[in-house]
Amino acid sequence: MDHTRETVDAGALMKRIEQLIDQGRPGAARPLLAAARGLTQPSSGLSVLAARLALSAGTFDNAGADLDRAVSAEPDHSGLRKCRAELRSRMGDLEGAVRDAAEAVVLDRDDTAAKALLGELLLRLGRPADAVSCLSEAVAAAPDDTVSREVLAQALTASGDMDAALETLFDGIRTVPGSGAMRNAAILLCIRRREFARAERLGEEARVDGVADASTYALKGHALSGVGRHEEAAIAYNDALKLAPGDAHIRHLATTAPSAPHDFVRTLFDGDADRFEAHIVALGYRTPGLIRRHVIEFAAAANIGPVLDLGCGTGLIALVLSDLAVGPLTGIDLSPRMLERARDKALYATLREARLPDALRDNTAMWRLILAADLMCYFGPLDEMLSAVRERLRPGGRFIFSVEELVPDHDGTIPGNGDWALGRMGRYAHAARYVASTADTLGFRCLALERETLRYEAGGPVVGLLMVLERPRDDA
Amino acid sequence: MPDGATVLADRSPASQLNHAIDLDRAGETNRAHDLMRCLADRLPDWDEPLSRLADSLRRHGNSAATDAYRAVLALNPNREPALLALGALLIDAGAPREATIPLLRCCGLAPRDPDVWPTLGRAYTDAEQPALALAAFTRALDLAPRSITLVHQLVAAVLAAGSGMAEAARLEALSERDPLDPMPHLVRGLILDRMGLLDPAIDALEAAVALAPDAREPIRLLAAVLTRTSRAGAADAALRQALELDPRNPQLMNDHATVLMRMHRHADAAALLHEVLHRHGPYASIVCNLASATVCLGLQDEAVELARAAIALEPAAVLPRRALTNALPYQDGVTGAALLRAAQACAAVLPRGSLPFPKKAPGRDRVLTVGLLSGTLRTHPVGWLTVAGVEHLDPAAFRIICLSRAAEPGDPIAMRYQTVARSWENVAPLDDEALALRTRELGIDILIDLGGHGDAARMTACARRLAPVQIKWVGMQNHSTGLPEMDWFLTDRWETPPALESLYSERMLRMPDGYVCYSPPPHAPDVMSAPVLRNGFVTFGCFNNIAKITPRAIETWCGILHAMPGSRLVLKTHQLGDAPTAARFLESFVRFGIDASRVEMRGSSPHRLFLASYNEIDLVLDPFPYSGGLTTCEALWMGVPTVTLPGEIFASRHSASHLSNAGYPDWVARDLADYRAIALKWARDPAGLAKLREAMRTRVRMSPLCDAPRFSHALGLALRHAWTAA
Repeated sequence: MDHTRETVDAGALMKRIEQLIDQGRPGAARPLLAAARGLTQPSSGLSVLAARLALSAGTFDNAGADLDRAVSAEPDHSGLRKCRAELRSRMGDLEGAVRDAAEAVVLDRDDTAAKALLGELLLRLGRPADAVSCLSEAVAAAPDDTVSREVLAQALTASGDMDAALETLFDGIRTVPGSGAMRNAAILLCIRRREFARAERLGEEARVDGVADASTYALKGHALSGVGRHEEAAIAYNDALKLAPGDAHIRHLATTAPSAPHDFVRTLFDGDADRFEAHIVALGYRTPGLIRRHVIEFAAAANIGPVLDLGCGTGLIALVLSDLAVGPLTGIDLSPRMLERARDKALYATLREARLPDALRDNTAMWRLILAADLMCYFGPLDEMLSAVRERLRPGGRFIFSVEELVPDHDGTIPGNGDWALGRMGRYAHAARYVASTADTLGFRCLALERETLRYEAGGPVVGLLMVLERPRDDA
Repeated sequence: MPDGATVLADRSPASQLNHAIDLDRAGETNRAHDLMRCLADRLPDWDEPLSRLADSLRRHGNSAATDAYRAVLALNPNREPALLALGALLIDAGAPREATIPLLRCCGLAPRDPDVWPTLGRAYTDAEQPALALAAFTRALDLAPRSITLVHQLVAAVLAAGSGMAEAARLEALSERDPLDPMPHLVRGLILDRMGLLDPAIDALEAAVALAPDAREPIRLLAAVLTRTSRAGAADAALRQALELDPRNPQLMNDHATVLMRMHRHADAAALLHEVLHRHGPYASIVCNLASATVCLGLQDEAVELARAAIALEPAAVLPRRALTNALPYQDGVTGAALLRAAQACAAVLPRGSLPFPKKAPGRDRVLTVGLLSGTLRTHPVGWLTVAGVEHLDPAAFRIICLSRAAEPGDPIAMRYQTVARSWENVAPLDDEALALRTRELGIDILIDLGGHGDAARMTACARRLAPVQIKWVGMQNHSTGLPEMDWFLTDRWETPPALESLYSERMLRMPDGYVCYSPPPHAPDVMSAPVLRNGFVTFGCFNNIAKITPRAIETWCGILHAMPGSRLVLKTHQLGDAPTAARFLESFVRFGIDASRVEMRGSSPHRLFLASYNEIDLVLDPFPYSGGLTTCEALWMGVPTVTLPGEIFASRHSASHLSNAGYPDWVARDLADYRAIALKWARDPAGLAKLREAMRTRVRMSPLCDAPRFSHALGLALRHAWTAA
């Protein structure tokens, strides 16, 4: 071959690496970074490239040490600070990330990107008011930065000012009419405010303007369902499905759309709230919708309450029940951050941070209905938990919950002890026979045991059991 | 000149041998050989004369060379050049295993000889011992790390040994040790490419290019891989960079022309191909490429002539026959019989291979595995016209397997196929034989070809039979494939009425409605009111590829424009973005006395805007003989009807099928006069046009053209019929 090594120029190589990282091609950039390291002395430029590469490829460990060294050598380099802030945030060190981002802002008061980053991190750290002030500055300096604008709207929402959030998004739509993200965020916010007609109008505008994507059509479908236009909703869902055919959640919406009005709420929040809110259309997390069905059945006769939501998380159960005559609702969860998200929804009468099943024993309240969506998978043996639930149920009261089903391995062997087993994801799966017999031993009456797809994970369905247990009426 | 014996007496053996060598060089071979033999007889311990004799025999292609080297080695078993030469001769004689013996000996004697290891590699390759071949080539490449020939041999050995991933990993580790060496990246890129892992292959080659920016090979190889992807822009850039380093390379120029065509820059492509032909002479493959560029410029007669010229250059080759089969449907006056003949002639030269044909596995009513063979199961006419129909096939009766190329990430139609299919096989890296083996492994019962005789299609593989039942459907479905191994042709009563059946080599699989199911895009803009109401004049349109626009179509359209004073015609398609092409086209209207201001030439636009342009069109004039397909469906979806003139060949009847299927059979003309009459009747009825337009989308949505469940039900019955029919 007719090449000579001398023709490689370090500057050109670094430029090429940057281009390749920008194009999202870490595979091509990585070997060139190694080559560039062989050609030049360590520099902040190389460290930034290395960190960006690590961020885009998801290989954080090496980059962290390298960045720490680079920051120690050049503590006033704002590019390095921003990089490390992103890296730290990706590695879960939010406080450290905020310190770096704040430092970057101090180093360069005009660095809009640094302000936006700091704002986003503050929001994630649970300081929405501080986030709003950072992000407002960032958006004012770069009005067409739709990402910062969307985060600002989230921060405003989190600090309770939904009107300002919506105005921020509308302003974004005016400034960048071609941004689908702005449209979708605005539609979603309207839906959350239950302003379905407005959401539908926004969706229609996005469609007419040609900026509608799968999420827009799905949200438009939600909005149309909300105002009772189910046939049009079905068309919208089918359009969404054409654009995102692999999305199990949208498929679920499209196939259930033209039925009864109550399906609307069931399907609307039949998705994991975090992902739903962050990415708008969720992977199919179906448990809340499935639980809702059984609550409707139970609530057909009379108002059901009080209700205890065990492991309430971000409050998805409250969302799917919000249009039903059930309540007041009490939510219990371990995670203060989750509880905060649940509190934002303003649908629970009480929220408590507590460990289960201890929380049930320490409390003497009695409940008509106790719910547990995807909670049992954090327990191996269930007798203790079920027994504690039974103690707190009023006679005739029901416990509706899901468990992940223990299924044989591909070679036919039953994992674990045959009753339950710890799975790869750190969750327990339980055998149907085991759950049913435990409930029976404890004196529950089993009203329903259904095999269902609880959610989709890594492209495949996670099969589980949905159970409804009743504490017999004569069991005082 | 004294004879050998005389000379022998006079001089020292060394000078006598030199004399013999001189004689050999002077062309006096027999005397030279005699002299060498004499010397060998006289001095039986001296290996030099026999060695020279063997070399000379080998140079002259004389089969006695092998024994001559054996004789040399009997005298001196360590004579390295003789060991190497004997090995090479034995490989050529088809005895590679025997060849390894002298070659291995030679490797032992001269382990740093750069020539011996590649020869040993060749011997092992021919002896079908790929792991040993790989070891030999690896050693060879250590000794001659810049040899691109060796690189290719090594890659072939790696793949034959089935150790692609292992070798790629080894090379990756190697490049970590010496990060500035482009070679490991280059070799890894080639291996990954051959394994069908295009993205990592491109990344690796990209790294090689960045590390050796002034070398010809890395950029040439990167460009070659990119040319095979849909990333035309990246391929174009790489080819330009490669051509800067190697400006006259005909392969690069030809590849560049192919990429330019894919970017719809047919005029530039044609100019480049003319230059290659001018500089390097008439290569059939380049003439064929020029024929495709020429037809896409709307020069159908010239294209057909070029294809015929290519056939004359290489009558037994597939490519020229395919070029003719693909150019003919566009030519004015083409008959069904002529097209069938061309297709059959093309089918006849396709190699069949030696695999036995797959047998039907028993079971009339069992689940059938249906293979969809196409590189265009994505946002493409094939996708838009088939995906909805396939989506609704009963999964309890049919198992879909897509036989395609690596799917473009994020393409919504590709995702729809992936959602509905049992599996998605990237068959692009497989040659025809390997593909035929793969479909047998997959147990494909029914193969549906969606590529026809297209350049990137696999009709060559269909000739080896990929399934016991083979069906031709959409995708270069311009007429019969002419292939005896293609059993069925999916069609409908409008496309192939019984009277035209004899123009096909396949049996007809007639659908009860249309033969396609259109899936309208969610991003289509709303239908606006008829432009004639706003403008006060009628706007005709044709958004078809100009390959379809024949001189007779232009003449007919000019007649209509003359009969409708004030009316306008908008032509819109990719090629018209090229100013000289647009000017040439406009001129062909002016020649018929049409004022240039009445005909507007527009280039391409993104799909949504393309569809939105129908809001400026009152009615579409279909080209002929090759009618609009997807284009007609899109016009219907946008509320614009098409007047069409079906002929004999399948491609001439697409619009007739779609219009009839959607409930507008009155737009299908009987003859040229009727075509003109229909166009003028509607052009003179703005209110009627407006009313038609208003209701069209709803009507089309409800019609069988867009009724996927209905279509799929019929498709299921058709597939079952094809399976059970004797």
